[in-house]
Amino acid sequence: MKLGVVKAYLKKEFIDLWRSKMIVMVYLIPMMVVILFGYGIRMEVTHSRTVIIDRDNTKMSQEIIRAFSTTKYFDTKVLNITDNEALRLIKQNKADLFIIIPHNFEKNLMHSRNAEIAVYIDGSFPLRATTLEGYVQGVFLNQLEKNGVKVPFKINQRNFFNESMRDENGIIPGLIGLTMLIAPAIIAALLIVKEKEAGTIFNFYSSPVSKIEFLIAKLTPPFILYSFNTFILFLIAVYIFKVPFKGSFLLYFLASEIYIVISIGIGLLVSIITSRQVTALVLTVLITVIPGFLYSGILMPISSMTGESYIEAHMFPVMYYNHLLYDAFLIAQGFNSPKNVEYFFILIFYAAALLFIGSLLLKKELK
Amino acid sequence: MKKFLAVFKKEILVFLRNVMLVFILIYAFTFDIYIAGQGIEVKPRNVSIGYVNYSGELLPQKILAHLHAPEFQKPKRFLNEEELKKAIFNKEIMVGIIFDKDFEKNFIRKKEAQLNVIIDSTAAAQAEVSVQYLTQTIYSMIDGKMPVDIKVYKLFNPNSNSKWFMSLSELLSVVTMLSLVLIAVVFVREKEAGTWDIMLLMPVNGALIMFAKVFSQIFIITVGLVMGIGLILFGVFGVPMNGNLLYFFLLTFFFIMAMGGIALVIAAYSNSVLEVSQYTVLVIMPLLFLSGAWTPIHSMAPWLQKLSIISPVKYYIEGAQSIFFRGTEFIDLLPYFAGEIIIGAVLFYLGYRRMGKLF
Repeated sequence: MKLGVVKAYLKKEFIDLWRSKMIVMVYLIPMMVVILFGYGIRMEVTHSRTVIIDRDNTKMSQEIIRAFSTTKYFDTKVLNITDNEALRLIKQNKADLFIIIPHNFEKNLMHSRNAEIAVYIDGSFPLRATTLEGYVQGVFLNQLEKNGVKVPFKINQRNFFNESMRDENGIIPGLIGLTMLIAPAIIAALLIVKEKEAGTIFNFYSSPVSKIEFLIAKLTPPFILYSFNTFILFLIAVYIFKVPFKGSFLLYFLASEIYIVISIGIGLLVSIITSRQVTALVLTVLITVIPGFLYSGILMPISSMTGESYIEAHMFPVMYYNHLLYDAFLIAQGFNSPKNVEYFFILIFYAAALLFIGSLLLKKELK
Repeated sequence: MKKFLAVFKKEILVFLRNVMLVFILIYAFTFDIYIAGQGIEVKPRNVSIGYVNYSGELLPQKILAHLHAPEFQKPKRFLNEEELKKAIFNKEIMVGIIFDKDFEKNFIRKKEAQLNVIIDSTAAAQAEVSVQYLTQTIYSMIDGKMPVDIKVYKLFNPNSNSKWFMSLSELLSVVTMLSLVLIAVVFVREKEAGTWDIMLLMPVNGALIMFAKVFSQIFIITVGLVMGIGLILFGVFGVPMNGNLLYFFLLTFFFIMAMGGIALVIAAYSNSVLEVSQYTVLVIMPLLFLSGAWTPIHSMAPWLQKLSIISPVKYYIEGAQSIFFRGTEFIDLLPYFAGEIIIGAVLFYLGYRRMGKLF
């Protein structure tokens, strides 16, 4: 390996990145993703549009309506309409649920006859529907307790890691993991495929530049540029979204650096099997976005997975990085936990393996 | 018309020659949707649960017996609180229950007992729903009925089958992504190669060429769409169709036209495929994720909700969900069509002004 060649090649790559305005993208896209999604993605369900049809009009039913309208989960509207009109509102997507308090509700309750309340929820969004179901029942249970119905169990709930139950605390670290997987892979893949499409790759084929030199020159720029992103995204998480950072910054930084190498390795593999930039782009997005979301633990905890998905989760590097990421932000066990150390070495193994396979498959000649 | 068909045919041929792209298209419309539908389960299921029992056996076992599939895994016993906490820290267990020493005693004597629950609340919403499950299960085993019977009906998807929702959402995302990328590239490739000017120099109307190019891509995507709906959505997942499939294809047509408008504007302002890829990523991420495809729009920050009025993806996803699940009548779908057509027309005009003429 000749240092002079590498240096010259590196300089060319940096100038290229600067000129093609790619450098803006390197920083803009991850920042934008984290900020926009941080504000936009909410797993909790709030302000669901609720229609209450009160056919009882008694003190009790008024109390129920008040209980619903005082939480942030429901935006209530009391309407006097038929069931079919209410159904139409849901079909027009103007309401998420409607609650019918029937005639004689209070009377039935007082005489301890069977009092019934019907709740209709738009089920086209399953998560929202189940969550709303729980909220609705919670409101009613509360209301019953207030009216002197004795509850045999009290549940004393303690929250770990995310004590205040803020949605952001879970989502923002997950988003950092996601961008760190997708963005470096795209840039790394495009940097190589660009040359293939333009034909300038022949410079590499025909010149005495060795494979290792070429790889170092191509892959170092994205690595260095994205290393700064670990700091930028950290600042965004902590200062804009106020995510607590309880753990070790060293763990966060080291794990992120290795993860960037993994991402670049994926980009390298993509660049080997594709020859067009569009194909490379679409392929990278396809193979990174889905596992990136799936195994991040935002949508579903890994411990809940079974069968194939459990095995797949352990096959992709996403899970290991996210575990460390959440540890750094919320759990704070650092390198004291054997599990973290194990995952850390697994990440290193992935990075090494991807780079090794990539450099083996890269051909320095025409096919 | 003949000229139109000639350009149309040429674009289809160019597409078919790129074998890798054809392969990706097939993958995106089949396996990708399958994986998303199969793998992503948004509601907590199979929640891992652990417990420590310092109390008598009878009551805790009765409670634990009620925590079962599909909501919960088989509760795992830990010898002491430390062990349980360690498992939670290692993310092996999500919900931990501790039965205190006098749990059973209190229940029998005072008819009131406290149940200690510790929970990994990293994903806040998930944790909350899990606790709700737990509460509901425990309440449901209380003898003697509740004074009020709350009947909850989940319309359109009574069992909350998230495979239906996920596979449809992924299908719509794939359509969104491909329509933007394919159409933008169709134009920029010519620009990059310098053949676009030649096209415009030909005695053919510029608008005609542009429409033919866009239609060719709409055709390609529609073929993929039919494949995805037929094989995966209906075939594998059994997604219901409560509305009219024809409306969905019609809505898709106008939606791809609107996306084509965005693509045209992107193409107009970029000179190479590389630039297009950057702009598309920049445009597509907010479009896709802030349009209610994955998380409900009404829970987002208010300013984002207002912004989503100009997003064609929002109308498409809401419209498509309405057609598939809610079975909305045509007259109530009109706002979605109107949204797509207006956005599409404005963007097409903007793109045409910059791309359609040589001088």
